[in-house]
Amino acid sequence: MTVSRLIIGRVFTALLTLWLVSIIVFAAVEVLPGDVAGRILGRNATPESLAALRLKLNLDAPAIERYWDWFRGVLHGDFGSALTSKRPVSQILADRVVNTLILSGVAFLLYIPLALIPALIQAVRRDRSIDHGISIVTLILLSTPDFLLATFLLITFVIFIPVLPAVSVVTATSSFEQWVMALTLPAVTLAVVMAVYAVRMLRDNLIEVLDSDYIRMAELKGMSARRVLLRHALPNSLIPTLNITALNLGYLIGGVVIIERVFAFPGFGSLLVDSVQVLDIPMIEATVLLSAAVYIVANLFADVGAILLNPRLRKS
Amino acid sequence: MNLTLWFSLWQRSPQSLRLGSIILVFWLVVAVLGALWTPYGYAQLGAGLPLSGVSWDHPFGIDQLGRDVFSRVLYGTHIVILLALAGTTLGVVIGALIGLVSAYIGGWLDEVVQRLAEAFISIPFLVLALLIIALAGPDLSGDPILIVMVVAFVYTPRITRMARAAALDVITRDFVTIAKLRGESAWSVVWRELLPNTTGTLLVEFSLRAGYAPALVGSLGFLGFGIKPPIPEWGLMISENRQLILAQPITVIGPGLALASLIVGLNMFTEGLARILGRTVKLGEQ
Repeated sequence: MTVSRLIIGRVFTALLTLWLVSIIVFAAVEVLPGDVAGRILGRNATPESLAALRLKLNLDAPAIERYWDWFRGVLHGDFGSALTSKRPVSQILADRVVNTLILSGVAFLLYIPLALIPALIQAVRRDRSIDHGISIVTLILLSTPDFLLATFLLITFVIFIPVLPAVSVVTATSSFEQWVMALTLPAVTLAVVMAVYAVRMLRDNLIEVLDSDYIRMAELKGMSARRVLLRHALPNSLIPTLNITALNLGYLIGGVVIIERVFAFPGFGSLLVDSVQVLDIPMIEATVLLSAAVYIVANLFADVGAILLNPRLRKS
Repeated sequence: MNLTLWFSLWQRSPQSLRLGSIILVFWLVVAVLGALWTPYGYAQLGAGLPLSGVSWDHPFGIDQLGRDVFSRVLYGTHIVILLALAGTTLGVVIGALIGLVSAYIGGWLDEVVQRLAEAFISIPFLVLALLIIALAGPDLSGDPILIVMVVAFVYTPRITRMARAAALDVITRDFVTIAKLRGESAWSVVWRELLPNTTGTLLVEFSLRAGYAPALVGSLGFLGFGIKPPIPEWGLMISENRQLILAQPITVIGPGLALASLIVGLNMFTEGLARILGRTVKLGEQ
């Protein structure tokens, strides 16, 4: 009873937040001084071009009416048509989103071992030199902005050890091998950024669990160290790990914006940057809303997972 | 305080705080000196042969326009630090104010503030920054004040949530109840009771956010939405010099190492500070 009520409540807040984001995104375009048409065209606006753009954006209708029209469209997957290419936003988004999903999927698969292995080593060899060494490496990696890490990886694996291409251009006709070459650097960058954040927290969680009484008990019963670690310690750090992973998914959706740019990868992130450059308002609204939706859904899953995994809640 | 006291404080503080402080003092000195004097002008063309590599005269090489990259990194230091600190300070002040007042007043106002903060936080960092830049329009593009506002705006909801949580811990304690019973005004309670008792949390938060601010400023510069050329903001320099990275990687490695080492210093400082104040901090949280 409590579990399903908790979950329903959590789903409700997620939907509320998403709806608020849609209002924020829409209102932000409205509230700022000067109308949207004037800001898009900037200083070189002529009265004719202003009038034409105003008509196109339907700016003469009341804001609430336009919000409702837009919101109703969004519910049906219709984000209007792009200002620049005049194609439907959803159609432009579709291809790019698929590319980004492939990139994020690969990054995510790399992320899991990259996070688990160093954290396990650190927890087992606590306060030894390898623990300190990994801590220093993670601190440095954590402090390196993602676009810089990507650039350093590019310098290493494109210039010093020339094995990978500098740009990750893929098209519908690219072969599997071309995809692998194109995805390696951006996926590794994203995976490392996510893993570094997770390793530091996972290490502390694992150590906390290893110090707890029931682990002592298991050791006293004569269970092997490996069994204690993999069967008891690791599953018990799963709930915090879920949260870290949700936060990391939130990072991932923002991280692709800059990482795709570094490698000229044709995904959702580089689409957002292009749209901001040409001030394509319908495209910007759609991409911002979509990225917030991913973050919100990721956090929702993490919270629901935590509720379901919590033995105290599960019993009642 | 006398010197021996300072020295014993220094000796007792965590190693990360000491190392972090040394790196930060180094960069502050470089920022001041670099603003006053550089071997070559930051926009001076023909400082050397374009795209030449490392030498004693040009430790970070020469960019494609013939400018000395080392001088540009030195001059850019104070720009990066000023933008990052101004944005973080503004964000922490506004966020703390909203968070503390919201926690104190409570009720539906607190609920609204919380929901709004939540909604803003769910838009990823860089995406929110790009949204603001797009909305500001081309006329404001590249304005340092816009960059500061963007950093502040991105941080405000996160700080608000943090400050609110910290204030809620304090509000139920006796001295706040007594202050209320004494008839102190809401403003006075927030200012005299809540703020001093959440300073530790806010300090660590400030330090943590300041650590990410140069990366955010750099990311905007890298994408071409930050400070405009020829001002040598590091992210912008990295993106400019990247175009010919195959010919001369040192022109990217130089400003890159500067940016990374500044942030390493800030993060070590944050970790040490959090340990002294007995608080947990999640470095790298966005």
